[in-house]
Amino acid sequence: MIQKEIWIYAEIHAGTIHPVTYQLITKAKQIAGDKKVVVLLFTPKGYTLETLLQVYGPDEIIIVKNDHLKDAPDSLIADLIAQLNHQRKPNSILFGATVIGRSISARLQAKLLTGLTADCLDLSFEEDLLIQTKPSYGDNIMCEIVCPNHFPQMATVRPNIFVAEKEESKTVLLTEIKNLVFKANKKIVVHAEKPLLSKGDSIANASRVLAIGRGASDKKTLVLIDELAHKLGAKIGVTRPLTDLPQFSVEDQIGQSGNSIAPKLLINLGLHGAVQFTAGIEKAELVISVNKNEKAPIFDYSDYQFVGDAQAFVEAMLKVIQ
Amino acid sequence: MMSLHIVVCIKQVPVSNNLKIDPVTKNVIRSDAQGMMNPFDKNAIEAALDLKERHDGEVTLLSMGPKNFEITLREGLAMGADRAILLSSRAFGGADTLATGYVLSEAIKKIGNVDLIFFGRQSIDADTGQVGPIVAEFLDMPQATYIHEINPVQNGKILATRLMENMEQVIEVELPAVITVRSELNEPRYPTLRNIQKSYQKEVEVWDENQLAADPNRIGIKGSPTIVRKVWTPENQKKVAESLGNHPDAAVQKLLEILRDKNIL
Repeated sequence: MIQKEIWIYAEIHAGTIHPVTYQLITKAKQIAGDKKVVVLLFTPKGYTLETLLQVYGPDEIIIVKNDHLKDAPDSLIADLIAQLNHQRKPNSILFGATVIGRSISARLQAKLLTGLTADCLDLSFEEDLLIQTKPSYGDNIMCEIVCPNHFPQMATVRPNIFVAEKEESKTVLLTEIKNLVFKANKKIVVHAEKPLLSKGDSIANASRVLAIGRGASDKKTLVLIDELAHKLGAKIGVTRPLTDLPQFSVEDQIGQSGNSIAPKLLINLGLHGAVQFTAGIEKAELVISVNKNEKAPIFDYSDYQFVGDAQAFVEAMLKVIQ
Repeated sequence: MMSLHIVVCIKQVPVSNNLKIDPVTKNVIRSDAQGMMNPFDKNAIEAALDLKERHDGEVTLLSMGPKNFEITLREGLAMGADRAILLSSRAFGGADTLATGYVLSEAIKKIGNVDLIFFGRQSIDADTGQVGPIVAEFLDMPQATYIHEINPVQNGKILATRLMENMEQVIEVELPAVITVRSELNEPRYPTLRNIQKSYQKEVEVWDENQLAADPNRIGIKGSPTIVRKVWTPENQKKVAESLGNHPDAAVQKLLEILRDKNIL
């Protein structure tokens, strides 16, 4: 029998939990109804990451600790979740729509011969049926997808769509599972992951972001923007074309196939506002845009606009911001 | 020198992302939408051709879809691939990622003796990135996904670097293996005149379910657990931007007041 459980895969990088996991716990609790929210935590021995998860108040954390989980390949995690699935038969399993989440969940989908919906922007339940809303064709079309005759129902969810909320007073059941079989796989060796050099925190989690488009991509303006970013304590994000410049890469990219951001303050500089970009800024709180073209679509996503030259605007800001 | 047999799975996607929905059928209007090769798949073909040039071998393109996907396979042949197979049949229609991955994996079994299978990281229309890992699982192969650096094959193994959101990770897989690639990996080549001419001497082979040992219940709509219940164009929640004026200094003054009022600065 299918249990009334929503499982969330806890994604771990560099010894800490990826924020999308907390966001998923909060969202799952909001839509769970009579279902339990259960987090799956796979770690090497010696880590106590469950304490980080507990404060977000899931009903239960299933903990698997084993030294084979250090730098585990996607296939091992998928195999362990499949074993847990056979033991407990959850209603659904959720992952972040990250590189890791997408890679493990699809492998698991093939093991369990069930449905998997990618990159969901919303989730809800009708009784035990998971209603999954996903974009298609570059966020131009929304689809409502269901998986009515197969369990578990699986989805990956775009990071920063939901807001994580703590619930520290809740009693969380901790269940350590020790009876899983770790099949040796000689066909793959995963080396320790490394933070990308030169980059600190991701723009995905920044509270202030300066976003740059082609209209502000000349050398001089970039230097000025860099200075302004330092003064404001802001991170710099770019549109897809600017990732071709040597100082930027896809990790700086905002939008579809880049980062979704949720800053308190977003200033768009010389940026047109293609749908592929605006898909990534829907959660920004206050949006200011600067563009020479008064008809630029970015203004339809902005609270304040300055029709004019991005460089002049940045220079004016540098004059008054200490 | 070892010889590699590489399969590259590719997809044709609509040219425009500004698609319309038929108000009656609620389906995406595809009929007049021109097709093109999924951009990430060009990086996959480039990676395969590059390895072929280093090691010698053969590159086979594989796609599933309607007959007009032949244009995309022809483009891949013109880039320098040796062979192209289109899996096309009504029975394959309406497939989700699971049924697609299953049919591709059955076709790869039939092709036989494959050392490497390349995919683009994801298609730009459905945007799932799922089919590569599904094929890897069905064929019981190791996977290295979202790869942005790749080394030549050594001792039957390949070393590749996966780029994640803020991290990177070196993965070593034993062949045969599945690799999905990012656009950062390489700059796809353009078809040369010579390769275009050569490509016209090649046939795009078309296979249907009768050529595969596939379970009829696992292909097409039947083999697809997910159902699209509703499709709509999102309401454009347009904001009305308030002007900061025309002069940069005045605009910045006004902006600072707003930011202070809202406790942002």
